[in-house]
Amino acid sequence: MAGIVCRTASRVISSQAACSSSVVAVRHSHWFTSMLSLKTSVPLRAEPKKRKKVDPRRELMVKERLKKKLKKLEKVPPEMIPIEDFIKSAKGFDETRVREAPDLCFEESERRALLLKEWSRFKRSQHQTEMHEIQEALEAQRQALEELKLESEELYKAAVSPDTDIFPFQHDGPCYTPPLTNYEAPEGKYNDITRVYTQ
Amino acid sequence: MAAPFTRVYRPFWRIITTTKSNRGVRNVSYTSQQWSAQNVKTAGAASPWALHGAVCVQRLPVVTQDRSPIEEEFMELMQKMEFERSLLADHELKLLDDAALMSRKQEGDYDSDEEDDYRDKDIVTAQDLEDIWEQKLKDFQPALRSQGNDQKDASSSERCLADSLILLVKKDVGSQKLWLLPQIQWQMGETLRQTAERALASLPGADLKATFLGNAPCGFYKYKYPKDIQKEGSVGAKVFFFKAVLSSHKHLPLEKNSFAWVKKDELQDFLKPEYLKQVRRFIMAL
Repeated sequence: MAGIVCRTASRVISSQAACSSSVVAVRHSHWFTSMLSLKTSVPLRAEPKKRKKVDPRRELMVKERLKKKLKKLEKVPPEMIPIEDFIKSAKGFDETRVREAPDLCFEESERRALLLKEWSRFKRSQHQTEMHEIQEALEAQRQALEELKLESEELYKAAVSPDTDIFPFQHDGPCYTPPLTNYEAPEGKYNDITRVYTQ
Repeated sequence: MAAPFTRVYRPFWRIITTTKSNRGVRNVSYTSQQWSAQNVKTAGAASPWALHGAVCVQRLPVVTQDRSPIEEEFMELMQKMEFERSLLADHELKLLDDAALMSRKQEGDYDSDEEDDYRDKDIVTAQDLEDIWEQKLKDFQPALRSQGNDQKDASSSERCLADSLILLVKKDVGSQKLWLLPQIQWQMGETLRQTAERALASLPGADLKATFLGNAPCGFYKYKYPKDIQKEGSVGAKVFFFKAVLSSHKHLPLEKNSFAWVKKDELQDFLKPEYLKQVRRFIMAL
């Protein structure tokens, strides 16, 4: 209360005159210790702003501390990218999706078992013919190379040398229907929702 | 088979006039290190066999093969078993929910506010979606699997789309015309693969692009000239076959009488028995 009165009084006084009044106003403010002490202004009494030696050192120290913290964080091993095929989705454990198991009669189960056995026999014979054909082709090639060697060493070497031009080899395999001539496939818009992981 | 080659007497193989040049050394180039190795081979009498390079061009199947009865049965069984062991898909759940909703709507005391999410379900049901998809499938007309010209035109490469076809050429051999794989005589300074490539390129009226599978020959056929044609130094000829895969589909139709695209089991109608025996070994019709 007294301070406020003092301040307002000082303001009133200072509004009239120039520097002398401002000095008087300073002296009367509560920042001012006593009338009898030295005429020092607030900034003069405060800590000096620029210390040319200690501050750069301090900044350096701060930077080093930050760098050390960063290194500690970086030492942590990177998180492994999840293999989406191995994650079992929750939909698989949903009980509302269970299909009713069919009840097979004896004949049906017998038929299935016999068909599976028949299939294994069929596949075995198919495999044997395939292996036999491959062996024949390899044998034919080996004999051809033998004959070529008898003929000419140079040609044999040229035949046995690896072929660099064949790879990359591309061939479109068989589809269900042959390709249509002059067919323009319709343009399809799609939103690519594949998840891309970065380490 | 004890003997790796067969002696066949061809009636009148055409007299090779250039045997003189071919009878010489078969080396492409001389270097000091090769000279010593080949010295033994070439210093004596040059080989009496004329070399030919031939190409076995295959048009690989364009369409899948039809299933045999057991394969059909097994496929059906597998599909049934998978279906039985599976869970309901999202689409199927939607179908069930829509059916339940419809049955609830039919009842007298139906209040649509009681539904959980009534926003979009009455607009497009899952059944409607199925109908739309079926309609779209019907609108599309795919090409026919078999063109129907299997038996008639042997020179078209569009026949028998489900099998791999080999190119055969009718050639004058002495006085006879024989069906052979395209072959041409080897020339000095080229590898046998280049000979085979030349054989393919030099076919009259056929512009075929093929990818050769490797530098090595896949088979060979050896035969002797009939005795009256055998000169000193030329006993017969050796043909080395190279495999190639036809790259482009569209090419001009070939002359009927001189070209043929044949399956493996049709080869016996075209080729001579001994030649067929050797060729069959490396052609795989799996």
